[in-house]
Amino acid sequence: MFKNYLKIAWRNLWKNKGYTIINVGGLALGMAVTLIIGLWILDELSYNSYFKNKDKIAQVFQSQTFNGETGTGPAIPRPLEKGLRDGYSDNFKHLIMCSWTNNHYLKYGDKSISRPGNYMQQVGPELFGLEIIKGEKDGLREINSIMLSESTANALFGNEDPIGKTVTVSNEHKLNVSSVYKDIPVNNSFNDTDFIIPWEKYLANNEWIRNAEDQWGNNSFQMFVQISDNTSFEKITNTIKDVKKNLNPDSSEFNPQLFLFPMEDWYLRSSFENGKQNGGRIKYVWLFGIIGAFVLLLACINFMNLSTARSEKRGKEVGIRKSIGSQRGQLIYQFLSESFLVVLFAFFLAMLLVVLSLNGFNELSKKEITFPWDNGIFWLISLAFILFTSLLAGSYPALYLSSFKPVDVLKGTFKSGKYAGLPRKILVVVQFTVSVAFIIGTVIVMQQINHAKNRPVGYDKEGLIQIPTFSQDFVGKYDLMRSEFLGSNAVVEMSTSSSPTTQIWSNRSGFTWEGKPEGFQEDLAWTEVSSEYAKSLNLKILEGRDFSREFATDSLGVLINESAKKYLGLENPVGMLLKDDNDEDPGPPLKIIGVVQDMITQSPYEPVKQGVYVYDRQNNASYYNLRLNPNESASKNIVTIERVFKEHFPDIPFEYEFIDSEYGQKFASEERIGTLSGVFTALAILISCLGLFGLTSFVAEQRKKEIGVRKVLGASIFNVWNMLSKDFLKLVIISCFIAVPIAYFIMNGWLQEYPYRVILKWWIFALAMVGAMLVTILTVSFQAIKAAKANPVKSLRTE
Amino acid sequence: MLLQLNNIFKWVQQGGQRIFLLKDVNLEVEEGEFISIMGPSGSGKSTLLNVIGMLDTFNEGEYEFLSESVHTLKEKYRSNLYKEYIGFVFQSYHLLDELTVEENLEMPLLYKKVKGSERKALVADMLDRFNIVGKKDLFPTQLSGGQQQLVGVARALIGKPKLILADEPTGNLNSQQSEEIMQLFQKLNKEDGVTIIQVTHSEKNAEYGSRIINLLDGRKI
Repeated sequence: MFKNYLKIAWRNLWKNKGYTIINVGGLALGMAVTLIIGLWILDELSYNSYFKNKDKIAQVFQSQTFNGETGTGPAIPRPLEKGLRDGYSDNFKHLIMCSWTNNHYLKYGDKSISRPGNYMQQVGPELFGLEIIKGEKDGLREINSIMLSESTANALFGNEDPIGKTVTVSNEHKLNVSSVYKDIPVNNSFNDTDFIIPWEKYLANNEWIRNAEDQWGNNSFQMFVQISDNTSFEKITNTIKDVKKNLNPDSSEFNPQLFLFPMEDWYLRSSFENGKQNGGRIKYVWLFGIIGAFVLLLACINFMNLSTARSEKRGKEVGIRKSIGSQRGQLIYQFLSESFLVVLFAFFLAMLLVVLSLNGFNELSKKEITFPWDNGIFWLISLAFILFTSLLAGSYPALYLSSFKPVDVLKGTFKSGKYAGLPRKILVVVQFTVSVAFIIGTVIVMQQINHAKNRPVGYDKEGLIQIPTFSQDFVGKYDLMRSEFLGSNAVVEMSTSSSPTTQIWSNRSGFTWEGKPEGFQEDLAWTEVSSEYAKSLNLKILEGRDFSREFATDSLGVLINESAKKYLGLENPVGMLLKDDNDEDPGPPLKIIGVVQDMITQSPYEPVKQGVYVYDRQNNASYYNLRLNPNESASKNIVTIERVFKEHFPDIPFEYEFIDSEYGQKFASEERIGTLSGVFTALAILISCLGLFGLTSFVAEQRKKEIGVRKVLGASIFNVWNMLSKDFLKLVIISCFIAVPIAYFIMNGWLQEYPYRVILKWWIFALAMVGAMLVTILTVSFQAIKAAKANPVKSLRTE
Repeated sequence: MLLQLNNIFKWVQQGGQRIFLLKDVNLEVEEGEFISIMGPSGSGKSTLLNVIGMLDTFNEGEYEFLSESVHTLKEKYRSNLYKEYIGFVFQSYHLLDELTVEENLEMPLLYKKVKGSERKALVADMLDRFNIVGKKDLFPTQLSGGQQQLVGVARALIGKPKLILADEPTGNLNSQQSEEIMQLFQKLNKEDGVTIIQVTHSEKNAEYGSRIINLLDGRKI
């Protein structure tokens, strides 16, 4: 019997090829989108799952309140380590201090590479469960050792055995390779840790870190823990939350609250607002999950609509089968197995589409997703997915078709009249509501990105590059390099800074100035720069002047930005003093020499933070900022710069970044969302139109006789086209009016997250509506005109 | 007694009025009869046939088929009953276009859950008996109207029914094809003892039967 069903299903599909292509193709497209989104979601959810102890690992975070605003972050002071080890060690199986991930130069023989890595305490590798593939497990035991990732070891040593070899780090520290660990996968918070050096070495190398041992105000370190087996993150958080406040009563004015931030949440729920956890990437997981579900729904609606639209043809079969003795249940079973067949087909096609498009998708989404061929659970889920889809798509047609009365269909009096069309109409409305909402959403995302991109950055980011200068080799060489670079004709101006132009690396408080309100807790972005900083960036000076080497006193000068001027409440800031009252490490008072325009250093969607630029007296420069010669091509300039650089630093790899592309990174996440939702929207519309196309062709056929009679009575082609198109256009207009308020509500909510945002204009909605209608008219017209042009004699004769 | 209709009424509601399709119809059919139902268009011939075939319901009255009271049966039992004992022949043949002649013949057996080997044998028998072995792999649309109706009759017969219901079986055929089909019916009735009830417009076709029932406006006259 099942064979008979399959046979008839197969022949039906084969006979109506156009219908089959629309149906299977549309469904496959929908399933492919859902599959890809499913794989993406799986990948997002499995972030950090490389670490076996994932559910026991946490990072110690702290929230502090400045002027009523609570900021939350991972930076903690060094004395906290002793505080937690002394009083609370029961709670932790392991506890480690860790540095930030920074690029260093690694050198072996004449090979020199720049790689990111960390300093960690000894149990770090064990805590994270790194997979050691060569050398000793306890690789951080010796102070002069270094652990390398597999790819880094390969890059440095090639085929040689790296264990025991000496690597020179930052051109000064000679460290022995103790072990090699397997590369940490891309979807992991530590994916850029290419080497690990013992924490003790970090202390030995840096005086300021040794000094930080009892500085509670120096929040410059990270701490990771693995909690004991019989406790929970919440319990420990409750115990330790006030530790800093209790051990260091001075800090209580900022009300520091410690808490454990579980690894589970690092990636997806890392956003904090006023000290409270507030979503994060998880919202995109939800967003795309919903998009995937909707796209699948659209494709299923096509299936339902086309199946029921064809009911007149299948009706006869139902009648015959019933008159021969089929029961309703058997017919339901038959139609469901038919839809199963179609869905199965579509699924294989969808898999093919996914495999073919996975590379492109990975590029778009910056992922390394592979098709999980060998994953049993994936296949199980797929089977459930196929069954679910065939039920979703097939149940309505099955119930509808099997309910026909044989007498009606066989007598030929059966007409799927007004009543039968209603559910179909509702489904079309649902489809276009979703599509129109998608269009509006995508347009608004794009607009917001453009809006932020067009925001003035405050300086000239074109023709500006930065060269990292982390190593000690650069100390004391600035003036020489400056004259060399300027003399090479590739560079017209140059400066240094302690953080990249597009980021803030340091914030300070503890200043006093004339007119400071009582109890004001300031928080200033802190960047140390050289002379000509503003000039090299083309940063506009609004008041006063730039740092200049002509004034010796400039070494105690400071530039403030416009926001800082407002923030500090200064009317005529130039000449005023900013006194450093820091308890632990007080500096000399700084004289404000100028006010510069605000420049966007953080999120382009947020207001510019108040900041100060102080003269770099302690060789804290991390970057050279070079203004390229605009009269030469950039590539030629770079070649010249590299030559000059190599003359003076032959052992250091030449690295540089264009500031405008660094700045562009700030849009990467939103742009990705924009592109992806654009692609999915296009597919959603395509699927809806496929359905509409199929539906029109059936309606045209259904009304063939009517069209024939009308034409005999004198209707023109335009009249007939109008008659057929109007019905569908009406549905799409209804969809528009449902979609617009929904889209407005959702997108308005999304925009609220961005302080710097585009204003929603009515024409976006109008445009989306007109677009949807145009697409409808185009889709419908093809069939409508074909039907209208048909010779009425032919259609009437068949009756 | 094969079946008995007692005071059958069937109506539809139209604009607050009852339009009677069948009005107080009484009918007894013995096994082995060959009955022709005649009457003008709209007199209720097809409706009566469909009621007998249990494809249609009625509003009032009693219907007994082989001593089972059909009007009290659930759909499932009813369909079991007619699946077992009744075969249908339609004016426009109603073969499934997607299936070959052979597969069309096989279909009723599938619903009766006949085993594969037996099914094959029965189908082969039937093809042989109707002289259509050479056409078994053709699709209905590749056959002439007469041939299609032949397949239709063969399909009705394959389940060995006691009763064949034929709704204007020759309505779409030319005179020569009509004659062949009627002779076939006569032969089935005489030689195999199959009871036949046919609806027809043609006096000539009605002559083949043993009894004629005339209907007018839903009433037997």
